[in-house]
Amino acid sequence: MRLGGKLRAALIVGAICALVVAGCGGDDSGDGGAASGKPVAGAPSWCGSKKITLALTDGFGANNWRRITRAEAADEAKKCPSVTEYKYADGQGNTQKAISDLKGMVAQGVNAVVVFPDAGKAMLPALRDSYKAGVVTVPYRVDPGGKAGEDYDYFISTDFKEAGKLWGEWLKKALPKGGNVINLGGPAANSQSLDEYAGMKEVLADRPDIKFIGQTPYHVTNWDPAETQKVVTAVLAKYPQIDAITTDFGAALASSFSAFDQAGRKIPAVATEDANVLACDWKKRQKDNPEFKLFTVDSQNWMSRTAVQFAVAKATGGQVPSSPVVPQKAFEDSLSKKPNPVTCDPSLSGDAFLSSHLTKDQIKAALAQ
Amino acid sequence: MTTYQRSAAPTPDSPPQPNRRRLRIPIGGAATAIVVATALLFLVSWLVEPQSVRHSSLLGMLPFAAVLAIVAVGQTLVVQQGGIDLSVPGMISLTVVIMTRYPNGDSGKLPMALVFAFGAALAAGVLTGLLVSRVGITAIVTTLGVNALLYGAVLQISGGTPRTTTEALHDFGSGRVLGIPTTVPIAVAITAIVAVAVKRTVAGRRFEGVGASNSGARAAGLVVRRYQLSAYVGATVLYCAAGVLLAGVVSTPSAFQGDSYLLPSVAAVVLGGTSLLGGRGSVAASAVAALFLSQLDQLLLTSGVSNAAQNLVEAGALVVGLAIYSVPWRRVRRSLQDRSPGRSAAVAPQ
Repeated sequence: MRLGGKLRAALIVGAICALVVAGCGGDDSGDGGAASGKPVAGAPSWCGSKKITLALTDGFGANNWRRITRAEAADEAKKCPSVTEYKYADGQGNTQKAISDLKGMVAQGVNAVVVFPDAGKAMLPALRDSYKAGVVTVPYRVDPGGKAGEDYDYFISTDFKEAGKLWGEWLKKALPKGGNVINLGGPAANSQSLDEYAGMKEVLADRPDIKFIGQTPYHVTNWDPAETQKVVTAVLAKYPQIDAITTDFGAALASSFSAFDQAGRKIPAVATEDANVLACDWKKRQKDNPEFKLFTVDSQNWMSRTAVQFAVAKATGGQVPSSPVVPQKAFEDSLSKKPNPVTCDPSLSGDAFLSSHLTKDQIKAALAQ
Repeated sequence: MTTYQRSAAPTPDSPPQPNRRRLRIPIGGAATAIVVATALLFLVSWLVEPQSVRHSSLLGMLPFAAVLAIVAVGQTLVVQQGGIDLSVPGMISLTVVIMTRYPNGDSGKLPMALVFAFGAALAAGVLTGLLVSRVGITAIVTTLGVNALLYGAVLQISGGTPRTTTEALHDFGSGRVLGIPTTVPIAVAITAIVAVAVKRTVAGRRFEGVGASNSGARAAGLVVRRYQLSAYVGATVLYCAAGVLLAGVVSTPSAFQGDSYLLPSVAAVVLGGTSLLGGRGSVAASAVAALFLSQLDQLLLTSGVSNAAQNLVEAGALVVGLAIYSVPWRRVRRSLQDRSPGRSAAVAPQ
């Protein structure tokens, strides 16, 4: 991936000059202000007129969530004709590769790069190098540390605490007489599961009758379906009364429904992230198991679209969107049917996310890759 | 570790040991130890956390124990040949992916999926076996490489996501025979067949002999590499069988479902009393050890101790198991006696 020093320097200088000509120098602070330049007619406002090459470097690309997210990013980039070339690199869960992918993209002279920095702070030096080299650098979802405007252009984030708050508010409706709640999370001490629990605790502060039982902040499942099944078996044995389960991996919970059958127990209310398999199971079971109420938050695959918008807007001179924080949204609610009733699509595989902004065929294509 | 099983001559500074054989824990003893430990564990579970041995709890735990038992039996075969198999995660994951991705919900395609899965297992087993026995690459390197190849195949086939298990396979995996999960009689049958094959047939006795001493076996006219090859092929086929069951037990598996089986499979072999240096061992004891580890896991999960404590207790069990079989206790006792004040006074004039 390494190019010769002179060539690389020339590319970097070239990239910086191009950006300066476009009126958006790399030292611009990430204040969200619109850059000069006119949007392309017929294209979204974030699409400016300067021709650019865009790259997406993924820390890890091989699961259903990532495949759909990657397809969303590519779909968004297509909307802007100024993006003349779109490149992708998969870090394959290897931090070294993720770093060299990013450096390689900079060396190849891309104008803007969207990065999923799975390795967190370990990616910061490479992000900073890319930013200093004048490439519009937009990490998203995983916090790499550092500061927007100093180490990269923008950080597209989401607040998992908000998802927890949404679950908490729904639990209040689903459990009017209070009840016992089991919370399942990912690997020990991961910030997503911790934030979600904190969000729930915050909104449930006025409802002491809704109690978290078992391990708090969460039962460790490592987001592994088999481990989830073991944990569910154990909590069913230990607690005769479970009124709701909250988890940030709905598909894994769906995999453990047989544990409920084995224990002769009904599935309680469930608040989680959307998954096609879960919605389809809900449809199958709701007649015999009315206690199984379901609430899901959006899986946010389209977050990569926001990142693309920021990167393209800054690099092409389009209008930079206003907020780099992607909100958590409710997706399905079996009680209020708002914003959506529980949505199962049997023509799609169980690992599809219906909250995705892709069309059905695009989802199929993304998962079939 | 268990040098007493292999050392041929006493070391110069140790006295002759006419009763060396007693230092070895006979296989019956090893099996007894893990059976007693497992019985004790269930007793403790019943006393401390009665819910962990309730009917529904056992029904949840036993399918996973059965899968681990089959994996442990395979690992035992390899360890008996002085090797260690790190391709367990790759083979199980590949099987799970083939069994879910190829049928994609259509139970009619399961037989073909089975053919593909076992075909892949045979190919992987033969490759590993040939590399170890003919080319002479050490088992740890070979199986690590093969594991990477298998994971490559997993990603190629699945793109990181297997499909939901077909109904027929899920019904089979989570079904029951006479009230017991179907996976249990399957695991028992497989263990019994392998145990009889190793312990009661001529080929099986030779297999153990080759594992205990390659040069001895060669001197006796046995083709060593043939037995080594059979260990890897047999083991990989067993991992595949375990993967098929796992795909049935977990209805929405991940593409990396085999990841959590590597360490427990080695732990089960160690707790079952098979020497990591090869030679004599007991597949039945490994299978019982798999039950022990699964119940320990279930007990800890049910008791609600923190994740950190769970890991510590499981690691502790492994250390105790290793210590029981590996430390030459008689020698330790003797050396302690030698250092006791009375003795040291007696030998002081020398």
